[in-house]
Amino acid sequence: MAIDCLVLGAGQEVGKSCVVVSINGKRIMFDCGMHMGYTDSRRYPDFSLISKTGDFDNALTCVIVTHFHLDHIGALPYFTEVCGYKGPIYMTYPTKALAPLMLEDYRKNMDRRGEGEQFTAEHIAECMKKGTWVSFSFAHFIQMLQCLEKDGLGVSLSFRYVFKIVISYERNHLHNPSIFGVWTGERYIIMKDQLPGFNYFLEVYCLKLSFYSDLTPSVIPVDLKQTVQVDKDLQIRAYYAGHVIGAAMFYAKVGDAAMVYTGDYNMTPDRHLGAAQIDRLQLDLLITESTYATTIRDSRYGREREFLKAVHNCVAAGGKVLIPTFALGRAQELCILLEDYWERMNLKVPIYFSAVRNFDRSLINAPGPCVLFATPGMIVGGFSLEVFMQWAPSENNLVTLPGYCVAGTIGHKLMSGKPTKIDLDKDTQIDVRCQIHQLSFSPHTDAKGIMDLVKFLSPKHAILVHGEKPKMATLKERIQSELGIQCYCPANNETVTIPSTHYVKADASDTFIRSCLNPNFKFSTCSSVDKSYLDSNGSKAVSRLSVSDDRVSEGILVVGKGKKAKVIHQDELLNTFGEKRHEIQFAYCFPMHMTRTENIPSASDLLCGLDKCTLISRLSTILSNELSEGNILDLGEQLQVESFRVSVCLSDNCPHRLSGSFQSNLESVFFCCCWAVADEKLAWKIISIMKGSTLQTT
Amino acid sequence: MEVHVMNSVQQSLDNNQSLSCQALASLRSLVINPTTSDSTLSSVLDALTRSLQLSRDSVILYHTLKLLTDLAARRPHLSPFALDLLRSDSLFSSASPRLVGESLSALLSLTSTGNDIDAARFVSLCLGPSVSLRLCLLRNAEKLVVRESVLLAVFLGFTRDPFPYVRKEALDGLVKLCKNGDFDDRDVIEGCYCRAVELLRDTENYVRSAAVHAVCEWGKLLVISSQDGNKQDLSDAVFIQLGGMVRDMSIEVRLEAFGALGKIGLISEDILLQTLCKKVLGTNKDKIYKPIEGLDIPASAVAGAFIHGLEDEFSEVRMSACFSLRTLIVFSLQFACEALKLMMDMLNDDSMIVRLQALDTVHHMATTDHLKVEKIDMHRFLSTLVDNSSVIRSVTRKILRLAKLPQFKLFKLCIDGLLGNLETYPQDEVDVFSALFHIGRNHGKFTVHIIEEASPELEPTCGGKLGFDSTRVAAFLVLAISAPLSHEKDVGDIPPRIFSYAVTWIGRISYALSDIMNQEMLLAYLSKCSRSSAISLVDFKIKETLLTVEGDAPINLCSTVDSPVGMAWKNSGGTSDFHHKIQLGIGKSVVHAEYELGEHSELRKDVNLIFKKVKDFWSLVQLGCTNEALKGIRVCKEEVASFNKESAGCAGAVAFTLQYLRVIEKLAAVWEYRRLTKTFHPYRVENLELRFAKLDRRLREIRNRFIGLTKGEELQILELLLVAWVLRLSKMEICCYDTTIKLLSSTVAHAEFLHEGSTEPSNFMVEVKKSLHDVGSSSSGSTYKPLLFEKLLDSFSLQQFVLCGTPRYIHAELKVPGNDSENPLPFIPGLPASIPLAITLHNVSTESRCWLRISMSEESTQFVFLDSNLICSGNRSSNVVREFTFVAPFYLTPKAISFTSSVSLGIECFSENVDRVKVSGGPKCELPYLCPEKQIFLCKSSERSAFI
Repeated sequence: MAIDCLVLGAGQEVGKSCVVVSINGKRIMFDCGMHMGYTDSRRYPDFSLISKTGDFDNALTCVIVTHFHLDHIGALPYFTEVCGYKGPIYMTYPTKALAPLMLEDYRKNMDRRGEGEQFTAEHIAECMKKGTWVSFSFAHFIQMLQCLEKDGLGVSLSFRYVFKIVISYERNHLHNPSIFGVWTGERYIIMKDQLPGFNYFLEVYCLKLSFYSDLTPSVIPVDLKQTVQVDKDLQIRAYYAGHVIGAAMFYAKVGDAAMVYTGDYNMTPDRHLGAAQIDRLQLDLLITESTYATTIRDSRYGREREFLKAVHNCVAAGGKVLIPTFALGRAQELCILLEDYWERMNLKVPIYFSAVRNFDRSLINAPGPCVLFATPGMIVGGFSLEVFMQWAPSENNLVTLPGYCVAGTIGHKLMSGKPTKIDLDKDTQIDVRCQIHQLSFSPHTDAKGIMDLVKFLSPKHAILVHGEKPKMATLKERIQSELGIQCYCPANNETVTIPSTHYVKADASDTFIRSCLNPNFKFSTCSSVDKSYLDSNGSKAVSRLSVSDDRVSEGILVVGKGKKAKVIHQDELLNTFGEKRHEIQFAYCFPMHMTRTENIPSASDLLCGLDKCTLISRLSTILSNELSEGNILDLGEQLQVESFRVSVCLSDNCPHRLSGSFQSNLESVFFCCCWAVADEKLAWKIISIMKGSTLQTT
Repeated sequence: MEVHVMNSVQQSLDNNQSLSCQALASLRSLVINPTTSDSTLSSVLDALTRSLQLSRDSVILYHTLKLLTDLAARRPHLSPFALDLLRSDSLFSSASPRLVGESLSALLSLTSTGNDIDAARFVSLCLGPSVSLRLCLLRNAEKLVVRESVLLAVFLGFTRDPFPYVRKEALDGLVKLCKNGDFDDRDVIEGCYCRAVELLRDTENYVRSAAVHAVCEWGKLLVISSQDGNKQDLSDAVFIQLGGMVRDMSIEVRLEAFGALGKIGLISEDILLQTLCKKVLGTNKDKIYKPIEGLDIPASAVAGAFIHGLEDEFSEVRMSACFSLRTLIVFSLQFACEALKLMMDMLNDDSMIVRLQALDTVHHMATTDHLKVEKIDMHRFLSTLVDNSSVIRSVTRKILRLAKLPQFKLFKLCIDGLLGNLETYPQDEVDVFSALFHIGRNHGKFTVHIIEEASPELEPTCGGKLGFDSTRVAAFLVLAISAPLSHEKDVGDIPPRIFSYAVTWIGRISYALSDIMNQEMLLAYLSKCSRSSAISLVDFKIKETLLTVEGDAPINLCSTVDSPVGMAWKNSGGTSDFHHKIQLGIGKSVVHAEYELGEHSELRKDVNLIFKKVKDFWSLVQLGCTNEALKGIRVCKEEVASFNKESAGCAGAVAFTLQYLRVIEKLAAVWEYRRLTKTFHPYRVENLELRFAKLDRRLREIRNRFIGLTKGEELQILELLLVAWVLRLSKMEICCYDTTIKLLSSTVAHAEFLHEGSTEPSNFMVEVKKSLHDVGSSSSGSTYKPLLFEKLLDSFSLQQFVLCGTPRYIHAELKVPGNDSENPLPFIPGLPASIPLAITLHNVSTESRCWLRISMSEESTQFVFLDSNLICSGNRSSNVVREFTFVAPFYLTPKAISFTSSVSLGIECFSENVDRVKVSGGPKCELPYLCPEKQIFLCKSSERSAFI
C-alpha cells in the first residue's frame, strides 16, 4: 500500500496550489488554484496529468478547497466548466459564500487589464451554485413535510445544510421551478403558507417532486471538525486553520491510511482569527505549506504598536489617515484593532469604512482628523485612489500600506522609496507629501510554527509545498534532522510515493483478552552505563526505576495458512501447536588447579564428600572477586550464576569431559558445569576465570 | 411491629437462610423510623451480619449495603459497627464490581478521614478487571489510608494503563504523593519523573495536562534531591521540558504548562532569555541538557515560550503567562528588562484582565527593583494613564510611585502623563496628587528642576490674582512641596513662596496625602517651609508606607498568589481539589473545618520543604553565590507569604517560617562581608554595623516572639545566635569584645542546658564551647584573636530546620478607639492625660510582663506596666487571645495646644540579661515590641471644641 502524491502546483513555488493524492485507491485533489504571476497556460495546473482522456469524474473522488484565496481556488471554475469536472467539491461554509465574490472580482480585474477571459461570470455562478435534480418519491416528500409541520417553524434539525426545496409542476415543466422553502440548517425559513393551494395541486396534479439541492454533487460545504463520509471508504474532516475566514486544514482517511493537507495556516492568533487547531492524529503523511520556511517572526504586539502609534500621532496632530485595504481579511483585523484602541483611549476621531456603498463623499474634505478604510488595497484605482489624490499633498496625513503590493500599482511606488511626485497618467500628477506607514501583518505561520505543527502531529512523512525552493530545502533538513521525519519538497508535476499504514485484523483468544483486562505491571531497574561520566570517574552505572505493563505486549500473533490471523497468550502457544517445550543446555567438565598447604594424600581423599562445600565456597570467593555481573548463589554443593551451574565432578568418565585432553593429576580437581543458551557468554567467562585461577586448600 | 419483624427475621436466620428481599424491606422500615429503639437496631445489625455470611446473591448484598448505609447515616453512634460490616470481606470480595464500587463509595461518604482498608485489598481491587472501580480507587486513594510505598507502586504502574482516564488519575495521584511524601530514593524520583515526561506525548489532552503537572512537581523534587552541584542544570532541564509544552494544541495543557513554568524556581539567565526569543540564541545553540540519561533535551525547545504565551488566543493563557513571568523576574535583571518590553506591548491587549495582569507584573518588577524603563516604553506605558478604565489608571499610578527614573526627560514625560490624566479624568485627582507627591520625593532634583521650568505658571498673574483655580497648578504645587522630603540629598531649593501658595490648597492636598500625613502636620510643614527652605525633617514623622518593599502588599488583583487563571479555569470545569481547598479556606465555610487538621500537617510539610530549600541556599552562600541565595530566599518568602494562614494552627508556623527566612537572609548578608572584606574600609564598617544591627533585631524577634517550640528547634535557633556572635567577634573593627563574649558564653550555657539528656550537640557548638574555654583560660580577655573566631566559622554549616511543633506567634493589636487627627483626645497641659486603649494579646502568657511605651520624642518616653491581673480579666480570655481595654496615663504632657505621641506594647524578656535599656522606671530587660507603633493625637481640652 502506498500514497502517491502528484504535485500539480505550488511545488517549490508560491501560487496555484494543487496537489492530487492517491490514497488506497481514492484520488483527492487538494486545492485548485491559479498562479497570479502568469497569463499563459502556466497559470493553471496541468490537469492533463490527472487523466489523459479528460474523464476527471472517474479519475478523481473529490476536490477539496481549503480557502477562498485565488491561488487556492482560482482554477476551479476553469476545471469544472472548461475541463468538465462534475464530481463533488468540498469547502467550508465561509469559503463557499465568499469564493464567488473573489472569483468575480478577479474576473472583472482581468477584464480591465484586457487579458483573455478564461471563464465567464456564468461559469463562476455555475461552478459554485450548480446542483442537480434529485427526485424523491411522493411518499417521502409527504413524510418530510409532516415532519416539518410537527416541529413548527423554528424546527431545529440535526444536520446543517442549506438547501432549497423546489417543487416543479408537471404542467410548467422543469425549467420554471418555484421555491417555497429554505432550510438554513437551524430553521425552516419560508412558511408553507407561501405555497398556494398546497393541498389542491397535490391532489389534482399529482406532481413529480424534486428537490433542487446544493447538497448532492458539486460544492458541498462542511463544518469544522465534522466528519464527512465522501464515499464508503473516504472520510474527510476540516480543522480550523486561522489564515483567513473559512480557511481549513483537511484530514483525509481511507482505510488505515490517513493524511492531512494544511493549505495556508497561521499558528499565532490575531485579533479576528484564532490559531490553527488540530487534534493529535495518527498520520502517514502531512502536506504543509512553507511560505516562511526560514523566517521567524516577532510578536504581533510590536507590529500593532507601530501601527497604532503612527495612526494616533497622525490624528493627534489633526491629520487624516487613509488605510487602503481589500474588503476581506486585513481590513477586519485593523478595524478591530483601531476600534479597541479608540475605546480604550477615549478617542472621538471618526473612523469611516467606505466599503459601505453610499459613502458621503463630502466627508473626504471635512475639516478635522479622521480615519478612512477604502477599497481597493494597493491603491490600484477606485475609491482609495480618489481619496489618495486628495489627501496625499498634505504632510499631516498618513497612508498605511499593506505588506505586499504588486509592481505597477501606486502602492508599490510608494513603498519603493519615498517619491515626491507620482504620475498617474499623462495629465495628472500627484504631489506626495503625506507620511507613509508600511504594515507587516501576515497571516502565514512562520518557520517555528511549521516546526511546531509537524512536531505536534508527528506524521511518518511530510511534504512541503507553497514555498521558495532554497528555503524549503533548509526547512526540510531541519525536519529530518531535528524531528527525524522523512520529508520531501517535490517540484511541480512530480510524484512522491510514500508507504502507508495497513492494519491486519486479527482475532484474539479468550486468555489473551482476559490478560488484557487485568493490569500486569512490572517494575525493573534498568541499568546502563552513562558515557558522559567516562572521562571523569571512569564508567559509572546509572540505574533507574522503570515500569512496564506487559498485558498488551504479551500476545503472540499466529497466522495460519488460509486462516485469519489470531492473537494468543504466550501460555497458549505450545498448546496451539501441540508442541512440547525444548531446552538446550550446554555442559562442560574440566579440571582446575589447586595448591595445597597441608599434606593431604591425594585428590580422591580430599574429595571424599566432606570438602565439597569448602571447595565451592572457595570458588565462590574467587568468582565474586573476579566477576562483575551476575548474582552468585552458593547452594552448598553447587554454585549458581544465572542459569550457569557448577559442581565438583567425581566420576572419572563424566560424559561432558573431553577425553584425553586433560590429564588427571593430583594437583587438579574436576568441575562439571552446565548452562542455558542465553548465558553462553557469561558461562565462558566464568570458565576462563576458573581456568586461570588456583584453588587454595588447607 | 418491631418485635414481629425481628422475630420473623430471626426465624429465617436460624434456619440458615439468608434474608429475603421482603425481609430486608421491612428491616428498612425499622431503620428509617426515627422512633425505633437502639436495641432493636443493634439486633438488626446482628441480623444483617449473619445474613451477609449466608448469602452471596448480589441483589441481596446490594440491598443490605443500602440498609447499612442508611443505618450508619441515621444513627451516628451505631455507625462504627455498620462501617466494620461494610469493610468486611463479604461486600468487598463480591464478584460484581458495581457492588464493590457502591460499598466503597458508601464507605467514603460515611467517613471523612482514615478509612483503613488494608493495602493488600486495595491493590487487589485495583488490579481487578473493572476499570470504573479502578478509577474510583485511584481517585480516593488518599482518603483510604494506604501506605505511601504501596500507593507509589500502584500509581506508577497505572501510568501504563491503556485507559486514558486511569493514566490521568495515576498521574494526579503521583503529584499528590510527591507533594505530601518525603522521598529520598533517587531511583524512585527519576523513575516517576521519566514516566511523567513520557506521558507528555500522550494522545489525550487531559493526560498531557496531568503529565505537565507531574513533571513540574517531580522535577522540583528531582532538583532538590540531587546531591552534586548540577542543580542549576537540572532545574534548567525541567524548565525546558515544560517549556516544550506551551505549543500544545489544547488550551488546558498550555495553561498547565505556563502555571508550571512559574513554579520551577531558580533558572539560569540564558534559558530565561531564550524564553523571550523565538530564534535560538547563540549561547543556547547546540546546548543539550541531560537531566537523566535518555532524556536529552535541547535548549532550543524552550525558544519563545513566553512570546507564544503572551500572544495566545485565549486570555486565560495570556494571563497565566504574565503571571509566570512575574515569578521569574527576580532571577535576572536582563530578563526583567526584556520582559518589560513585552509587558508594555501587552498593554495593547484586547482583554482588560490581561492588561491588568501585565500591569501587575510591571508593578511587581517595581517592587523588586527590577524596573528599568526606557523612553520608547515610557510613551506606551504612560498612554495607560488616559485609559478608559479607572482600574488600569490607578494601577499605572501605583507603579509610577515606585519608579526610579534615570533621566530628566523621562521624569518630565511621566509628570506630563499624570497631568494629562488629571485633565482628562478630573475624578482621579486624589490619587494623581498622591502619585505626584511620591514621584517628587523619589526624584528631588528633577522636581526642583521642573518647578523652575513651570514657575511662570505658578506665579500670580499680573492682576494680582492667583491662577490657583486650575487643578494643573495644584498638581505642580503638590510636586513642589514634596521636594524637601526627598530621599535624595542636596536636591536644591524650592522658592519658599511656593509653599505658601500651597497653603491655599491645603484641603485638597491634605485629603490626597492623607496616607502620609494629616492636615495639621501638613500645615505645620508648609508654614515652616515657607519661612525658610532649610528645615530639619526630624519633626515630621512621615509614614514610609510605600517605600518599604515588605510593607507594600502586591496589588490585590487576585485573591491568591497562586495563578489566578488556573483557579478560574479549574473551578469552571477542571479538577483540582487542592485549589478548591484554598478557596474554601478563604470562605471560612463549614467544609473548611474538616480540612483543617489535614491541611495543618500539609502546611507543615510545605514549610519543611521551604526549610530544606533554605539549607540548599545556605550552601550557595558558603560558595559565595550570596546574591543567588538571597534571590532564592526572597522567592521563598513570597511563597510562604502565600500560604494559607486562615486556620488556627497555621498562622504561627507561617510567621515563624517567615521570621526564620528573614534571619537567614540577614545572616547571609553579613556572611558575605566575611568573604569580601579582607581589607579594612571605614565606610564598610558602617555598613557592616548596620547589617549586624538588622541581624540582631531579627534574631531577637525569632527568639522572643515565638512560644511552643520544641527543644530541638530552640537549639537550632540558639545556634544561629551563636553564629551571629562569633561573626561579630571575628570582626574586630565592630565588636565590643567583652559584651559579646559574655553573650556568647551565656548562649552556650543555655544551649548546654537544653542539650542535657537529648541529642548530640552539633560540630559547631562543640567547637565554640572548646574555643570559649581556651579564651577564658588564657589569662585576662586582653588577648583577642579574631582569627580564632574566623576559623570557628568554617566549622559552621546550616542544619536543616525541621518544624515539628506548632510555634505560636506572640503579637498584639493596639487600638485607640475613636481617635484620629480630626478627633483628638483632650488633655490639660501639665496634668496627666488618660489614653484609652483596646488591647488584644495573642499567645501571651499570664506570667509575662507587658509594658506600654508611650513617647512623644526620644527624651520624653514613659513606660507603663500592665498588670497581669488585668490581662487575665480580659473577656474572650482564652489562652490564645486576650482582649481587654486599659486606660493608660500619660504624665509628661507638654505645654502645647496639641501634640501627638506614639504608643507601643512590648514584652519583657529575661533571657537577655545584658543591661542595655537604661530608662528609669521602665523594664529592666530587653523589650521586644509586639505591635507597630500607634499614633495618638491629643489636643488641649478647651481647644478641642474649636476644632470640631
